[in-house]
Amino acid sequence: LPCAQGAHPPVTSLFPPPTVTSEQIEHLHRRFKQLSQDQLTIRKENFDSIPDLEFNPIRGKIVHAFFDKRNLRQESDGLADEINFEDFLTIMSYFRPIEMNMDEEQLDRFRKEKLKFLFHMYDSDHDGKITLQEYRNVVEELLSGNPHLEKESARSIADGAMMEAASICVGQMGPDQVYEGITFEDFLKMWQGIDIETKMHVRFLNMETIAHCY
Amino acid sequence: MFLLLPFDSLVVNLLGISITVLFTLLLVFIIVPAIFGVSFGIRKVYMKTLLKIFQWATLRIERGAKEKNHPLYKPYVNGIIAKEPTSLEEEIKEIRRSGSGKALDTPEFELSDIFYFCRKGIETIMDDEVTKRFSAEELESWNLLSRTNYNFQYISLRLTVLWGLGVLIRYCFLLPLRIALAFTGISLLVTGTTVVGYLPNGRCKEFLSKHVHLMCYRICVRALTAIITYHDRENRPRNGGICVANHTSPIDVIILASDGYYAMVGQIHGGLMGVIQRAMVKACPHVWFERSEVKDRHLVAKRLTEHVQDKSKLPILIFPEGTCINNTSVMMFKKGSFEIGATVYPVAIKYDPQFGDAFWNSSKYGMVTYLLRMMSSWAIVCSVWYLPPMTRQPEEDAVQFANRVKSAIARQGGLVDLLWDGGLKREKVKDTFKEEQQKLYSKMIVGNHEDRSRS
Repeated sequence: LPCAQGAHPPVTSLFPPPTVTSEQIEHLHRRFKQLSQDQLTIRKENFDSIPDLEFNPIRGKIVHAFFDKRNLRQESDGLADEINFEDFLTIMSYFRPIEMNMDEEQLDRFRKEKLKFLFHMYDSDHDGKITLQEYRNVVEELLSGNPHLEKESARSIADGAMMEAASICVGQMGPDQVYEGITFEDFLKMWQGIDIETKMHVRFLNMETIAHCY
Repeated sequence: MFLLLPFDSLVVNLLGISITVLFTLLLVFIIVPAIFGVSFGIRKVYMKTLLKIFQWATLRIERGAKEKNHPLYKPYVNGIIAKEPTSLEEEIKEIRRSGSGKALDTPEFELSDIFYFCRKGIETIMDDEVTKRFSAEELESWNLLSRTNYNFQYISLRLTVLWGLGVLIRYCFLLPLRIALAFTGISLLVTGTTVVGYLPNGRCKEFLSKHVHLMCYRICVRALTAIITYHDRENRPRNGGICVANHTSPIDVIILASDGYYAMVGQIHGGLMGVIQRAMVKACPHVWFERSEVKDRHLVAKRLTEHVQDKSKLPILIFPEGTCINNTSVMMFKKGSFEIGATVYPVAIKYDPQFGDAFWNSSKYGMVTYLLRMMSSWAIVCSVWYLPPMTRQPEEDAVQFANRVKSAIARQGGLVDLLWDGGLKREKVKDTFKEEQQKLYSKMIVGNHEDRSRS
């Protein structure tokens, strides 16, 4: 007999407004149990069981993001080996849709959080800067599916994009100036004008409209 | 002592009488109609009564939940998140336009390009199409079986009593009855086909074989209390053709074979299954393969082709998905049976999970546990649609033909048509599929780059 079905995991102060409903948390909990195969934590291998994810060229980076301690709001640095449901929800919270009643300050903080998540995806060595090598890594991964593409071409595309980024952030550089890497402030500058907070979310289907009529 | 004796014999008498009555009922109401293929309609009445009880039970649960002011868990068939229908190109164009204003035809990588893949990845992690096909379908109303209840804490006393009564009826009355019937059916099948096997080949043998098979399958159908509705019976498979159907459980065979005479295809097993298979093949030319032969695709194809080319031979029954799916979708059909070149008769089978979930989750339950679960459910209710025959067109190859048949079956049964391979239950995605999306994106960026560098 299912006895622990109704037990909700504790979700006290994880979510400053906007809130997630307990129904949505229940659904996510079921999904978590499915992925973890009824264990209390998820490891990297558990993400292998999702066939659709194999399609995604940056699959490695996305899975990595779940275990990145910076995203999990933990004080220490590096990678966690396994995450529990609370951590899972923390990562999912980066993809909350915005709500109508948010003020300027909240919206700005919300946007920064989402962009920080994307920044961490590029910055794989956790030093707070996206270097040329890290940029190249991402471009190579994204373009890795094309067998006709030589490594040189991918590299030159990455280099071109990096120079572009440098010119936006630092302006004209002298001949012996070395551009160390894109910092988070520069990163923010590049996303100006793109309403990431309205696009970077996953919406739950509206439950009431699908309710069964008895 | 003397006072006890008459009481004792009274009990014995009562027991004897009730067993005799039970067996007479069994014979008259179940086995005899099965032999002649008629039906008293008892099962339909049973089904209607059960439906009314389930509706009442669900209303009680909702009332209970409302009193306690808790939300109920409602499973959603369409998934829990809204997936954006925009394509890769559209999204990247949009983001670039709002950002740096560069159009897609400039061959450069943008920092924001990563965003589309990131979001798609998170969406897939939250809810994906394939993984949910391999676990049992979730019901929207409760059918008094504890195995399908997700809102267990809202059950009132009345409902618990009803549920207890249900358990009693199912396990103490229905289950023994069904086991007795199954036993009768299987032993009749084995003895009947062995006896018929001794007859010389000819019309008499065929006639008897057909009726022995049909009779025993009908008894097995009643052993599961399967309530089957057949649609479009004029499209039933004919000799020299291949019958393909979607696969949910081993019971599919019983359901189809109780309405038509088929030649089965499969691997010889050991144990009870092996005994049944060996007896059946004496009366009728089923196509059984040894375990070693199954690996050899050419041998299998050759034998099937030989069988099909003889127009007098029975239609073959094949399940091209290769594994059991949970009856909400149809997965990739293996192309082997579509290469043979015979007429294909598609059949769609859709179970109603309200009365008993027929899906066999072979990673969770073994065969015996599965059969016991089936026999202790209320009933197995399903609909079978016979679709018009299809043949391979000259410009199609086997894979396209297989997909065409699959779409027809999915459409008729109201199932989702998926391109995914049922083998994903056990294995990982083939590398060839992984590269598709990457190729598309890189074509977008690089294809233009090459043009630019050339000019």
